[in-house]
Amino acid sequence: MFEDVYIEGAALEFSWADPKRSLTELIFDTVSNAVNDAGQEYDGIDSVVLAAHDLVDGRSLSSMVTAPAAGAYLRDEVRYSDDGAGAFSAAVARIEAGESERCIVAAWGRASEHDVEELSRALFDRIILAPLGLEELHVSAMNAQKWRINGGDDSHVNAAQQRRKAAAGANPRALQQGGFRSQPAYPFVEEHLPLWADAVAAVVISPRPSRVRVKGIGLSSEPYWLGDRGLAKAPALQRAAERALYEAQIGIGEVDLFEIDGMTLYDEAIALEAIGRAAPGQGMAMLAQDARCNPSGGSMAGYSVPAMGLARIVEATLQLRGVAGGVQQGAPRIALASGLSVTAAQTQTAVILEAV
Amino acid sequence: MSAAIIGVGQTGYRRSFPDKSSRELIWEAARLALEDANMDIDGIDMVISGVAPDALAGEASVERTAMLGFGKPFLRINTGGVTGSSAVFAGNTYIQARRARAVLVVGLERMGQATSSQQVFNTIFDPVYEKDFPLTTITMAALRASMLMRLYGYTAMHWAQIASRSFRNAMRNPLAHIRKEVSPEDVLNSPMLAWPIHRLEACPMSEGACAVVIVDKGMVGDRNPAWIQGAASITDSYAMGDRIHRPGATLVDLLSLKLAAKRAYSQAGVDRPREQLRAVELYSAFSSAEAMAYPALGFCTAEDGPRFVEDQFVDPSLPVINPSGGPQGANPVSATAMVRIAEAALQVRGMAGERQVADVERAVATGQGGATQFSTACVLGKQQAA
Amino acid sequence: MDLVTIEGKWNFNYTYFAGESASRFFHELRENQRIMGTRCTKCAKLLVPARAYCDVCMSKTDEWQEVGPEGTLETFTIITTAFPGLPTPPIVMAYVTLDGADTALINLVHGLDLSDIEVAAQKLNTLPRVRVKFVDEPKGRITDFSFELV
Repeated sequence: MFEDVYIEGAALEFSWADPKRSLTELIFDTVSNAVNDAGQEYDGIDSVVLAAHDLVDGRSLSSMVTAPAAGAYLRDEVRYSDDGAGAFSAAVARIEAGESERCIVAAWGRASEHDVEELSRALFDRIILAPLGLEELHVSAMNAQKWRINGGDDSHVNAAQQRRKAAAGANPRALQQGGFRSQPAYPFVEEHLPLWADAVAAVVISPRPSRVRVKGIGLSSEPYWLGDRGLAKAPALQRAAERALYEAQIGIGEVDLFEIDGMTLYDEAIALEAIGRAAPGQGMAMLAQDARCNPSGGSMAGYSVPAMGLARIVEATLQLRGVAGGVQQGAPRIALASGLSVTAAQTQTAVILEAV
Repeated sequence: MSAAIIGVGQTGYRRSFPDKSSRELIWEAARLALEDANMDIDGIDMVISGVAPDALAGEASVERTAMLGFGKPFLRINTGGVTGSSAVFAGNTYIQARRARAVLVVGLERMGQATSSQQVFNTIFDPVYEKDFPLTTITMAALRASMLMRLYGYTAMHWAQIASRSFRNAMRNPLAHIRKEVSPEDVLNSPMLAWPIHRLEACPMSEGACAVVIVDKGMVGDRNPAWIQGAASITDSYAMGDRIHRPGATLVDLLSLKLAAKRAYSQAGVDRPREQLRAVELYSAFSSAEAMAYPALGFCTAEDGPRFVEDQFVDPSLPVINPSGGPQGANPVSATAMVRIAEAALQVRGMAGERQVADVERAVATGQGGATQFSTACVLGKQQAA
Repeated sequence: MDLVTIEGKWNFNYTYFAGESASRFFHELRENQRIMGTRCTKCAKLLVPARAYCDVCMSKTDEWQEVGPEGTLETFTIITTAFPGLPTPPIVMAYVTLDGADTALINLVHGLDLSDIEVAAQKLNTLPRVRVKFVDEPKGRITDFSFELV
């Protein structure tokens, strides 16, 4: 690659139904926080890369009103209708290509303004799947059940959930009041589900040396039809992680902090196996025992599509800088963060970050 | 810049394709582009998809129904009207960053499934302060058209002449949606939508898919390339009311396009656009919107705009505008800005058939999104930029 | 063989948070029949409608100030064709800069004779002065007021 890219500033906010702030005001606040965290105000910012979805925002072409809130005025701005980690990879590419010298990346989703289940149903093919009333949560449930059928060790599920809950309770950024949980579908119980929240994440990146460096990025995808995918294996995440590790020239054993996007507790467990952190069937045990796996509390700390990949990147960044607060895991040197997209984790982005 | 377009695929554009699913339209455009590029999907490192308002298709994230190839990096862009060009630019970026050597970019518009587009377009406006008004793409263009007439002396006949010229050019484009002779009088006699805009000055509701293959210079080989010499994108503020009093760049001064063009021209080494750009594929969903692009692209001053329109019909040395017929001939919204780039690429490669303009060394393609909020400019040429 | 089509409705429900600034703007419309702008702490422009921040400067706004009740029309259109879900034509829509404001505001314009559209258009082309007119029972929405020619 041309040159190293660094994360200069990072910010993340989870809130719920704050009537004092419109969506654009929420975005303005978190982007302002990330810019302040980076120092130098807006000097040199020439590029803005966003991740948001019209149907989440409730506006067709929502970036008309939201891009300016993220600092896009008279700048080169692009909005991905895709996960925040994917947008992050596009922003890194801009710097590497020499097209930008300082770039804002922001991603958001405001669950309190829309009906998350209604939207999730709309993602599925109108002709064949939608009449079944399928939602992404159901796909997660089927993956979870398949994992158990395949011999996944479920005996640690309560311990994993307890650890996750404690982490979310200790995470200064987690949503502590409000939020929304769906009705669980078998084999889930309510606490396995994500806590839908109003989420905004933002970073500022540049080629100027700073505290966190981007060491590797990988992306991959899976077929559309659920029956064509590798159930309970997250193959897109596996390939994305392999590509990121290859670029970083390291093995999974050298990663000491993981912030992995997964809608539910089981998705997070399966993801740990997919990236090679846990042996097949042992993802839940790993989640129960290793506090460096989703120390933020994962989807229990707050969840909103399509912000989560960037939220994971922010949590990993704060960990590498030693400023994650109540959930800080010692002094990690290398972190792996991931983000998944609709429909039901069809595409994945893995990012490896290093403390400088 | 060191990337070139070596393949273009277009399904052609119609009100609807009742015999094709969305994924089939995507596959068709991709297949045609790969064939034109003389490449296999396995040679593609990344796929970028451009799909704009989901509501027009009535399908959420329709792009994900058609994965192309196995396990490739895949991202979707939605920047409204500039989506197609944003997606091409993103592909170019990944190549410049050396994260990919070959990128397949596909844009799909599926508005054939929508009953009415204006109701959907009303939802692009701010729900807090503006959605209660009949703000639509038509009325926002009309607000500008009336200002252009007052400030620079454009008349209804100018708008009608531009529209008529676009229809005439579309007659030579077998892919266009609307192919019929329309005289300026026909345009003026068509129903008035919102003063001063007549129905035949507005674009049709079209669906279809467009794809391009972009490769790193090392992969061009002996293929026929359209080199990406310049590519730039600028976003303006949202509120049109804020731009009215902006010094030096009011509502009808298309500042975002002016800045994007300036940057693209600088990358491409274009300093006399009127002479150096033989073909112009211009994104204007309404004939009157073209007028704002002329000064932004450096073809004339704003005051000389009406004269520039009249001269287009008599001066063969001027750039040829929308030889494909432009959005007047077909406006598959998500793809339209990519179609402009694809058509400009065909012009540069000498592959534009009956609509080929002679001696196109360089061409420019523009994109517009939102209420002239997002602008893109792409300069393509027979040579790699210095 | 029949080509299958399936009917569908695309209907999503949303609750948009207007936020404190817009809420106060609407409150002033309803309670005091006043139109308010806010001033950017960096460029000092008075932005109308009121808002929490200036997106040019990426700075917060502070001072609230009333604008109008008269202003100048900047540009207009006359809607003549009906579209599903939108009000019945003919309707005049215009951007107006109210006295004191640095930005223009969109709303409908009433009181014009619209029997001849071209004549009405030429009248509006003279950029007449307009005045804000409130409805009898304002509800705290942007539709509480419109413009009329002075």
